[in-house]
Amino acid sequence: MVVGSVSRGCQVVVIGAGPGGYVAAIRLAQLGKDVILVEKNATLGGVCLNVGCIPSKALIHASELAHEVAHAENMGLSIEGLSVDLPKMVEWKDGIVERLTSGVAFLCKQNGVEVVHGAAEFVSDRKLVVASEDDRVEIEFEQAVIATGSRPMALDGFPHDGEKIIGSTEALSLQSVPERLVVIGAGYIGLELGTVYAKLGSKVSIVEFLPKVMPDLDAEVGKALTRQLKKLKVGLHLSHRAESFEPGDPSVVVARGPKDEELRFDADVVMMSVGRLPNVEGLGLDAAGVTTDEKGFITVNDKMQTSAPGIYAIGDVVGGALLAHKAYQEAKVAAGVIAGEPAAFDSLVPAVIYTDPEVAWVGLGEGEAKEQGHNVVTGSFPFKASGRAMSLDSTDGFVKAIADADTKQLLGVVAVGRGVSEFIGEATLALEMGAFLEDVALTIHPHPTMSEALQEAIEGALGQAVHMVNK
Amino acid sequence: MFVFNFPDVGEGIHEGRVVEWLVAEGDPVTEDQPLVKVETDKAVVELPSPHTGTVLRLHAAADAEIFVGDPLVTIGSPDEELPEEVAGEKESAAAPSTSPKAVGPEAPAPQTGVARRPLATPRTRALARKLGVDLQQISGSGSGGRITDEDLQRAADGGGPAPPAPTAPSAPVGVVAATADGEVERVPITHLRKMIANAMRASKHNAAHVTHVDEADVTDLVEHYRRSKPVIEERSGVRLTLLPFFIKALVTNLQKYPIFNASVDEEKQEILYKKYYNIGIAVDTPEGLIVPVIRDADSKNLVELAGEVADKAERARSRELSLDEIRGGSCTITNIGPLGGVFATPIINQPELAIVGLHAIKERPEVVNGEIAIRKMMYLSISFDHRYIDGAEAARFMSDLVRLVSEPMVLMARL
Repeated sequence: MVVGSVSRGCQVVVIGAGPGGYVAAIRLAQLGKDVILVEKNATLGGVCLNVGCIPSKALIHASELAHEVAHAENMGLSIEGLSVDLPKMVEWKDGIVERLTSGVAFLCKQNGVEVVHGAAEFVSDRKLVVASEDDRVEIEFEQAVIATGSRPMALDGFPHDGEKIIGSTEALSLQSVPERLVVIGAGYIGLELGTVYAKLGSKVSIVEFLPKVMPDLDAEVGKALTRQLKKLKVGLHLSHRAESFEPGDPSVVVARGPKDEELRFDADVVMMSVGRLPNVEGLGLDAAGVTTDEKGFITVNDKMQTSAPGIYAIGDVVGGALLAHKAYQEAKVAAGVIAGEPAAFDSLVPAVIYTDPEVAWVGLGEGEAKEQGHNVVTGSFPFKASGRAMSLDSTDGFVKAIADADTKQLLGVVAVGRGVSEFIGEATLALEMGAFLEDVALTIHPHPTMSEALQEAIEGALGQAVHMVNK
Repeated sequence: MFVFNFPDVGEGIHEGRVVEWLVAEGDPVTEDQPLVKVETDKAVVELPSPHTGTVLRLHAAADAEIFVGDPLVTIGSPDEELPEEVAGEKESAAAPSTSPKAVGPEAPAPQTGVARRPLATPRTRALARKLGVDLQQISGSGSGGRITDEDLQRAADGGGPAPPAPTAPSAPVGVVAATADGEVERVPITHLRKMIANAMRASKHNAAHVTHVDEADVTDLVEHYRRSKPVIEERSGVRLTLLPFFIKALVTNLQKYPIFNASVDEEKQEILYKKYYNIGIAVDTPEGLIVPVIRDADSKNLVELAGEVADKAERARSRELSLDEIRGGSCTITNIGPLGGVFATPIINQPELAIVGLHAIKERPEVVNGEIAIRKMMYLSISFDHRYIDGAEAARFMSDLVRLVSEPMVLMARL
């Protein structure tokens, strides 16, 4: 034992105070457990609250507003001299982050969760050490929950310096709008933040190794996104491999195209968004007996149990969809199992990309449904035919329902369009309740809303749509 | 290893009761060998083994209520280790490769290897975890096959491991308890009784029942019957009764009045005139009413009909009828006469539209050609669904039926 170290004991220790960790800690405390929550950073809330979901949505909204008012002449609105004060925008965003992270700290305190700051490392399957600049705390626990999250993946030849080569974190706190922004990777982070800077006035080029945008989603989704990127004058370079970086003023990103041709992109700033890696290094997983898969994600069962008895893992660090709401649910499952409840993860995970237009989906895609042996029927309603979409001047996109043609059970929903994130929860509920097409078709959707498109798409799958011509 | 689930034996039957296991755990079985007797709707069926192998586990106790899709038996090789939870490793939970003895349509096609989400709400899925019930093994009784909380409760209550030596069910034994009014014996309602209760209530609820009664002078018919009976019995070895004559008379009359041999597709609002004459015969058994069906009665002679009626009545009483033998009727006869009474108002055996009651034959003074004579008289009734058949039509139908049974030569001419 190191001199000056403190030894502590608790029933459950939770490592990481992101959406998985803080929810697990609070729920465990609610279930009567004595909980210590360990967080490496100064603030709680993890990537989601500090440098992820929330701050990016704040900037997305602000940039959308700027873009919208600057393009509202057809509605009779002309704005003279619209200027973007990025430092002010970032300050507003930081205020939101501050409110939310302190809110999490407040909730932890109110629920009796003790927070210990520092980096945790297992020394055995019942003990870990939390090291910070000031001290070293040994914590003996009965059970542990690993919720250490994920971080952006790096790409060889593109050394992160936080100024010329940045990640999503820095992209949320730039002090000026870069004239030329090159985004490497057309995943959801690259698309979301690339769109933000395009709307704020940057000339954005996106370099993507794969031949399609969102290749796992319905082909219509990629088409709709590509169309909008073109409208924003974003250069989308698919099937291009980012090869090297030449610093300078401007710097140059060298990429290789599908016909082996070399392309050079001038860049004031390069943003890397090529994927994310689990945070498992330095955790001492071996000492605890916790195993990982070949990509480093911790392997768990549907009770969120790892290979080490009494040790659980949740959130991004276990892989799957790297989404805060998946982590929330896994946190509640782990807490329930620890408290002796018969909990297990069996939920559908909806997903949203806050591009313009938004993309949201849940359940099975058309291809997946066919792979599972369903005789598939689909119905699709375009927002071009929606009164609400017209009144919002946002008629891009559609809602598509995927169902079993024989049983008429709803299997999945894909939506592209403004505000579709707000009603994908309804589709998720329908799927969780085992809804049949008629269940949704016979449910009144308020008019005029974007959510009517879900009802129309489903009526379309039944061959009963009223506001479009049935196929 | 193969888990044999209670298959869909057709005709909308989704539950049954294990009557008797014909094999025990550890027994070798061959394909098609009967495994278990299961009481469904109105019959006891023997389910044959879909595979050759060894019985590793019986999943339902004798007398247990089972639902379509419930695991019945696990068959594998003798040295195979039985996993704690068979669910994850079983073959597709679909129908066996062999049908149970004489059943209707096959169960739905097997699913692909990819596990589909069970059709149950999050709350029900949580309850399944609490009760330790595998949702993949449950066939839902809710809307569109949704698994309900009640389905789970039933599975949890009835799905225990089989006892070491399954035995045939004993007669229901009641629990006698003293009440303020005296002793009361509480006896559980049998599966068959529940089925009868539901069918009767549904028929009374759905159909517009009217009973029309007519009377027939069957003196001549009885005379012919008495004369021919010893000859026929000697030649055929079959005991002849009067019932086959009435079956023939009914079929002849149904050919003239097809609406009495019909049913109705309520959903499509169409009348289904049956081009076959499958006559149900209500049989009184110790456990309750069972209605075996004489198929294609129009193409069978009196001796064949007599033999078949006797055989099916006997097997109804011993509960050995297959499902095929109790379904598919187009019109029904209830022969209540031998038990006495004047006449009754039977309930229609839905989805049929009519049931003919044969009541007691009694000698009564009648006026024949202006003189009083002792004649053999009987009441014949028809209960019909007035939604689709009018009273006048029923009166004409009965008047013709009366004529057929009153004048055997007319009947013979039509046969």
